[in-house]
Amino acid sequence: MIFAAALLAPLQSFAEPFRTENVETELHSARAAVAPGERFTVVLRQKIREHWHTYWRNPGDSGEPTEITWRLPAGYAAGEMQWPAPEAIPFSILVNYGYSGEVLFPVEITVPRNAPVGQSVTFNADLYWLVCSDVCIPEGGAVSLTLPVTSQGSDDTIWAPRIAAVVAALPRPTNAEAHIGTGSPGRLSVELANATAIRNPYFFPFSRDALNNAAPQSPRVGPSGLSFDLQPGIDDNLGRAALAGVIAYEVQAGGAWTRRAFEVNAQPGGPLPGTDAQGATLTDDFVGGAPEQIGGAGGTQTSESSGAGPAEAAGGGVTTLLAALAFAFLGGLILNVMPCVLPVLSIKALSFAGGAHAGEARRHGIIYLVGVMATFLALAGVLIALRGAGESAGWGFQFQAPWVTGGLGLLFFAIGLNLLGVFEIGGNAQGIGAGLASRGGDIGAFFTGALAVVAATPCTAPFMAFAVGYAVTQPPLATLAVFAGLGLGFAAPLVALSFMPALQRRIPKPGPWMERVKNVLAFPMFAAAVWLAWVFAEQTGAIGALALLSLALALSFAVYVARWGRFWLIAGVAVLALTAAFAWRPLAGVAPVEAVVAEAWSPERVEALRAEGKPIFVNFTAAWCVTCKVNEGVAFTPRVSAAFAERGIAYLKADWTNRDDIIAAALAEHGRAGVPLYLYYPAGGEPSVLPQLLTEGIVLDAIDGGGE
Amino acid sequence: MSKILSKRTLLIGGVGAAVIGAGAGLLVTNKAQAAVDTGARAPNFSVRDASGATRTLAEFAGRTVILEWTNRGCPYVQKHYNSQNMQDLQGETTDDGIVWLSVISSAPGEQGYVDGPQALVHAREVSAQPSAILLDPTGVMGRAYGARTTPHMYIINPEGVLVYQGAIDDRPSARPETLQGATNYVRAALADLAAGRAVATAQTTPYGCSVKYAA
Repeated sequence: MIFAAALLAPLQSFAEPFRTENVETELHSARAAVAPGERFTVVLRQKIREHWHTYWRNPGDSGEPTEITWRLPAGYAAGEMQWPAPEAIPFSILVNYGYSGEVLFPVEITVPRNAPVGQSVTFNADLYWLVCSDVCIPEGGAVSLTLPVTSQGSDDTIWAPRIAAVVAALPRPTNAEAHIGTGSPGRLSVELANATAIRNPYFFPFSRDALNNAAPQSPRVGPSGLSFDLQPGIDDNLGRAALAGVIAYEVQAGGAWTRRAFEVNAQPGGPLPGTDAQGATLTDDFVGGAPEQIGGAGGTQTSESSGAGPAEAAGGGVTTLLAALAFAFLGGLILNVMPCVLPVLSIKALSFAGGAHAGEARRHGIIYLVGVMATFLALAGVLIALRGAGESAGWGFQFQAPWVTGGLGLLFFAIGLNLLGVFEIGGNAQGIGAGLASRGGDIGAFFTGALAVVAATPCTAPFMAFAVGYAVTQPPLATLAVFAGLGLGFAAPLVALSFMPALQRRIPKPGPWMERVKNVLAFPMFAAAVWLAWVFAEQTGAIGALALLSLALALSFAVYVARWGRFWLIAGVAVLALTAAFAWRPLAGVAPVEAVVAEAWSPERVEALRAEGKPIFVNFTAAWCVTCKVNEGVAFTPRVSAAFAERGIAYLKADWTNRDDIIAAALAEHGRAGVPLYLYYPAGGEPSVLPQLLTEGIVLDAIDGGGE
Repeated sequence: MSKILSKRTLLIGGVGAAVIGAGAGLLVTNKAQAAVDTGARAPNFSVRDASGATRTLAEFAGRTVILEWTNRGCPYVQKHYNSQNMQDLQGETTDDGIVWLSVISSAPGEQGYVDGPQALVHAREVSAQPSAILLDPTGVMGRAYGARTTPHMYIINPEGVLVYQGAIDDRPSARPETLQGATNYVRAALADLAAGRAVATAQTTPYGCSVKYAA
């Protein structure tokens, strides 16, 4: 009988595949013939075109899972389609979960007990799937599979072993304990034997709304299991609800790395011990890992991973916060020796040597502490407000960073000038009276604190980045606490000094050396200013550097002459204001980007455009021509470029930065010996010469008057 | 000496206070790809529309604004346009004085990238009725909003606060028949706003094609 069935099978069993350009789909059966009452497995096989993929039951950030709808003969029943472990597929800011190459989805089918033996049975299925590379195509079609029914049935010699392997590799529920903690990230920890021997672990959630799929999971392993840092998704309920999904990893078996996967259903709870001893091994081609961690178990210590260390080690809410506070305090202490900060603090420390009696020193110490704390908390407040206002995301494209670097550069330059004794507004104030001066001392102590914090900002990015990185993901109270920790650590050394006369006595006696130290300390400040000026120039280009240096020049003039009295102070401020009026644009990040792309000028190009009957605007300019640059900043506004575009005006630029006889000749032709020169050729008309001091209105009038 | 220092720091401290806010912002730029929180201020933007004019969020202050990320080559977008679903919603909302901005963040060479004239021609062909089509080929606006899919919908209230972000409806599929009986989250959110209620479903997971950002 079995023999007969085996003979019959090749004749009666056949599958009808379905092909598209991107996916070939076919049903295969583990049984060449089925018997009444048995349950057997078929697979839906997708062969996916190279660089394309289909999706898992949770497709991740985009995409859609493959669906199968059975049309079965009466009495037959099909189970759910079962999902092999997917891969994480990153695409720009998204991460999807799906399959590439070939994937086999097992489905169990039950044959009715009364299925008539000796006949064939056909299983039809309607399919729908989405297949994507960089674009997505929804596809669908029908497949069928016909099998003979025999009294004993028989295995398919090719497909039975393959299907058995696929079924064996399916992620299965386990009894492994798993916990998901609260927070962002929330820590998922899972029991797993020999976790330290695995590599490339990844957690795939079943729910689309559970996780931020694109966030790195930072997997770690330990003697009793493994753990992941998971960022919450829209549900935002990590640690407050069970989290189910699949954990996939690779393990060495018989000399080769084999992929394994199992299902977890993590219950809310703190991290399981022994699951985070070291970073998991991630290979270079593994897409789920943060790039910093590639390279091996517990190996690389980047600033990011070391910064996250205390928080990771501590795990749960309160402990994490305490660890972050301790780290913040330590970070604050270290800030004292940063090159931008040390000069400011050294001078304050020297003032204790200047014979300040104990009571005054203590009061100044306290006020300094208040200044530091107020500034740090103000910083935290600004952060919280920015976050609340949704500005964090918007910041990047408002290009406000040049204003920060430029402003700090000028600030350091001014501090340096003061340290050199170029300006001492104090000389004025000294005459005002002892009472005010001592109050000035208090205010001074407060602002020494504030200034030190401000001065610290550019030098301390690595530390601040961690504190801020942790703080921005926390509720406002925790943010404030972390910044308070930073502030306390920051203020500690000087406050300690102010309270310990024994320490103060170790500072050498005051004398001319203090002036010298002060002067020498000016140079680190100038160095910081130089560095910031370079950053600023990188951000804004040569025009930005010109603006910043002009402002520095005007600033030094203003502070230098201010000592001569009120008239000079006003004059200095006026010069500064005038400079700022011309130079504010690059500083404020308003890059004079010319939206209309300028073509290079040549007499031939002008002739060609005139022959076409096009209006032309020619700008004769040069990099060293200040008037030109001011004009370009003031007059070539987005409105003007929009008007150019609207009227189809060709914008030509003749750049006379380097010697050019043809441009010189053209200038001479219009009675000019140099730049700037602005010409407007109306369509089919003779050119008109625009004034040398240009405004937006002049340009618009010219093209309105002559153009139409 | 200490008095001189005091005056100096007084002066510089004032300047410092102005810088500090900016410094804080500089630090925040490290924050990765974070989408805007619902209930937070929607980030401003400055991009060109299909007719070449520069458009900003600020110009719509006082009006409800809907942002629709779109890509005409995307089957999920086509589901909503071939069925007139999206156009009907555009018509309803703009008739009510709501601003509808269709945003295209496809990079040049990627699916769905169009220049201004092409965008206008296509909009006419499919009878789309947005207030404007914004062209974001650099993806700056899309990344600022964390737009992940087409469609991906955002509603900004007249005060400039983001009150809804996510999917257009509760049927994450490209199949046209799934429109039957779907709950349109945008329409529901607008009804909540019109009734003076808080938006009940203020955030959902968007579905569709990935936004074709520049690499």
